[in-house]
Amino acid sequence: MSLFPHGRPVRVLTTVALLALGGVVDAAQDPAIGQLRLIAPAAPGGGWDQTARVMQQVLQRTGIVRTAPVENIPGAAGTIGLARFVGSEQGRDDAILVSGLIMLGGIVMHRSPVTLREVTPIARLTGEYEAIVVPANSPFRTLTDMIRALKDRPESLSWGGGSAGGSDQILAGLVAEAVGVPPGRINYIAFSGGGESLSAILGGQVSLGINGLAELEAQIEAGTVRALAISSAERLPGLDVPTLREQGVDVEFENWRSVVAPPGIGARERQRLESVIAAMVATPEWRAALERYRWLDRYLPGDAFARFVDREEMRVRTTLRQLEAGQDGGGALASVGVYPTFVLSGLAMCAVAALVVGRTASRAVTSRTSRPKISGTVWWIGLALVINLAMAKTVGFVVASTAMFWLTARAFDDRHPIRDGLFAVAMALAAFLLFGHFLQLPLPAGPLERWL
Amino acid sequence: MLETLQALTSGFVSAFALHHLGWALVGTTLGTAIGVLPGIGPALTVAVLLPVTFNLDPISAFIMFGGIYSGAMYGGSTTSILLNTPGETGSIATAIDGYMMARQGRGAAALTTAAVGSFVAGTLATVALTFFAPPLARAALRFGPAEYFALTVVAFTTVSLLLGPSRVKGLFSLFLGLSVGLVGIDQLTGDARFSFGIPQLLDGIDVVILVIGLFAVGETIYQAWQYGRSEPEAVVLHDFTGMSREEWKRSWGSWLRGTAIGFPLGVLPCGGTVIPTFVSYATEKRLSKEPERFGHGAIEGVAGPEAANNAAAAGVLVPLLTLGLPSSATAAVLLAAFQQYGLQPGPLLFTSRPDLVWTLIASLYIGNVMLLVLNLPLVGIWARVMLMPRRLLFAGVLVLASLGAYSLNGSLVDLAILYVVGAVGCAMRVYDVPLVPAVLGLVLGPLSELQFRRALAISEGDLSVFVTRPISAVLLLVAATLLIGSKVVTRRLVTEGAEETDRHGETGERRS
Repeated sequence: MSLFPHGRPVRVLTTVALLALGGVVDAAQDPAIGQLRLIAPAAPGGGWDQTARVMQQVLQRTGIVRTAPVENIPGAAGTIGLARFVGSEQGRDDAILVSGLIMLGGIVMHRSPVTLREVTPIARLTGEYEAIVVPANSPFRTLTDMIRALKDRPESLSWGGGSAGGSDQILAGLVAEAVGVPPGRINYIAFSGGGESLSAILGGQVSLGINGLAELEAQIEAGTVRALAISSAERLPGLDVPTLREQGVDVEFENWRSVVAPPGIGARERQRLESVIAAMVATPEWRAALERYRWLDRYLPGDAFARFVDREEMRVRTTLRQLEAGQDGGGALASVGVYPTFVLSGLAMCAVAALVVGRTASRAVTSRTSRPKISGTVWWIGLALVINLAMAKTVGFVVASTAMFWLTARAFDDRHPIRDGLFAVAMALAAFLLFGHFLQLPLPAGPLERWL
Repeated sequence: MLETLQALTSGFVSAFALHHLGWALVGTTLGTAIGVLPGIGPALTVAVLLPVTFNLDPISAFIMFGGIYSGAMYGGSTTSILLNTPGETGSIATAIDGYMMARQGRGAAALTTAAVGSFVAGTLATVALTFFAPPLARAALRFGPAEYFALTVVAFTTVSLLLGPSRVKGLFSLFLGLSVGLVGIDQLTGDARFSFGIPQLLDGIDVVILVIGLFAVGETIYQAWQYGRSEPEAVVLHDFTGMSREEWKRSWGSWLRGTAIGFPLGVLPCGGTVIPTFVSYATEKRLSKEPERFGHGAIEGVAGPEAANNAAAAGVLVPLLTLGLPSSATAAVLLAAFQQYGLQPGPLLFTSRPDLVWTLIASLYIGNVMLLVLNLPLVGIWARVMLMPRRLLFAGVLVLASLGAYSLNGSLVDLAILYVVGAVGCAMRVYDVPLVPAVLGLVLGPLSELQFRRALAISEGDLSVFVTRPISAVLLLVAATLLIGSKVVTRRLVTEGAEETDRHGETGERRS
């Protein structure tokens, strides 16, 4: 009996292959743009990655863009992706970068030499509210209880939230400032990612939690945490949580996400990208996605968006500077420099000890008297690696890998140059087709890859 | 209990639909393939496939994702054993003895124990997931920063068993790894440390790059170094059929212990599968009557860690399904997948979409069987990889290692770091410095520091948290006993006879 009756899996498999090979092509509709690369400056799974992948789906499905591959360039709150974007996409009109409030925080925290002023603003897209919650068994019933304790002894409350300088910590600083507590005295415990901080909140490891509403909503509904406040201007329908403002804390806050284009593009190119995004946000598919991920529609295009970014940058900069002012959570032992000093001195001591032991040992063992020499084989391998590194960007993955393969094979045995050459081409091509084409991993692309 | 069984049965009924089985097959095959490739893990694969699966019904999609997930854990072991190139961080411990076995022509046995061990552990862990998920998840919440710090201390004691013949060189390797771990943003304050103005270093050096560099690239350069210096030992394959009766007997206990260690540690979000695999390896070595065989092709050293990483992978699903907590990168992507289908993962998922949850769990059982059926017949063929001409083998390893490292961030800087680490790895081999402590240092160092400082920040600088919190105190006590215990064992071994020291001397010489 066949494992695939009615031929269905075969059809589905072809669909999978087709989709992976470049998205759904709607024959009836002529797409306005051939390719638009979506760059998510974060690892798969986070908010920016989700935004990019939803955009990919909507743009391809509606035929606004024929293919919209997503590239992840994770690291340092998006500033690594931003720096690469500004550096290597200058003047190109076929790439956009997903960005947002957290990137502003990253720019300030990591003193990034590249800022959002350098890119071409396209549009703000979505927003997400934040919530302040406590574990179900916490003594705090309302925000007022919490603020009383905070004013009494700020350091005794530990705030669990996302990474340092991110939206959660910025909101914590804004709340502290609004109630008259120096933001520098907030005992903020940074966790990486929503899961880690959420488990600390659920387990009562921290006094309170501050996170995006999307991450907390299911827990609030299930009653595993108690929400003290939400950062929206008004109460949200279907969620019985008071706002910060109605409890006397004059803060309104949203973690917004946006898209920007490379620097140095012309007015016409900018216009065209803006119209692509405008077309996207008008589709029912985009509306459905907003609903699904519980994102707020915060579409704001062009110059208005640019002015908004300037205002936000001011706010973030001031808050983060105040937060940095008095940071020293856990006393002397927990300060930044202690551990590195310990590790580096340990390394130095071990190195010295190893040298001493090695010397006495080599005196004892006479066979080690001749110093090892680097053989020709090693030089060939070194050459293979250097060539791959130097050539990959210009000639692309396939050619560079072929060269590396052939040189490495030659290093070990130079009697079959032609056969090894064939093996090299086959290996490089197969790897490219499987990983570059089918799985769409980012591989260095040269003329050959673009043609394939 | 009865309700659980009923729910599970209906899950099985739904998963056994032929097209669901087809998706499980696609998932496990794809998972095994990406597990083989160094650097590319299940998280990235699932993320890439998310938009593709949008047309599928959620059940089919999750069955496929479940297959990818368990397949990737298994696939990593193949390259570890045959090429000394761990595909995932969870397979590093496997490489230590697995690669030695392969070089002795026992690759088929190593692959078989990995496959059967993965199956046994995967299945037992899924049973535990089926019946005990909610209480386990609640217990895991009792772990705070102080407890995680204590756990890393326990993990550090395993290093003492992996130092190799020379203590000084082993410690040097450990501190080298700890130093590399210093690079990058300090997570608590957001300050950059030791990044030397290179933006790509802000997020630190990826463990995967260090592992591929030290092991795969380092091994290639080292073989080139050795070329012409000494005749390569010709590999003679012992058999293609798998394990001998004695090897089966040795493996059983290791599989079960590996599962017992891996599953609970997987439930706790503590740095992925590295800690469970090394704790399992150390346990096997300590319980063994002949610990000196470890590092020279002991089958227990493959069976234990391989069982542990598969059990841990199932453990990660416990907090995800019961509490909606993603505790690994893959879990975070799966969470995003839930949202794509409009499902809110959280404490209510089990009640709001029981059909989906139980089909997913049932498909894990099926995926495990499928992996075994798919991979056991291939063991003999894979083992023949060792007979390939070395020049092609190493050339292929370099291409795949470079591909994996580059595709992590799409950056040439990572490629350059990979090659530098490879050169360092070769130098370490030449001077007989063990590689594994460096990897452990890089993984455990930052985790340990972070949790230590978090715990102190929460306690406002009061050091007593580590002993007044009961779980933390017990864990620290365990660590202390293990350290003192190992001293006693070493002393006994040393005094037990000169024969032992002779053998150590011999191996030391052969390696240099």
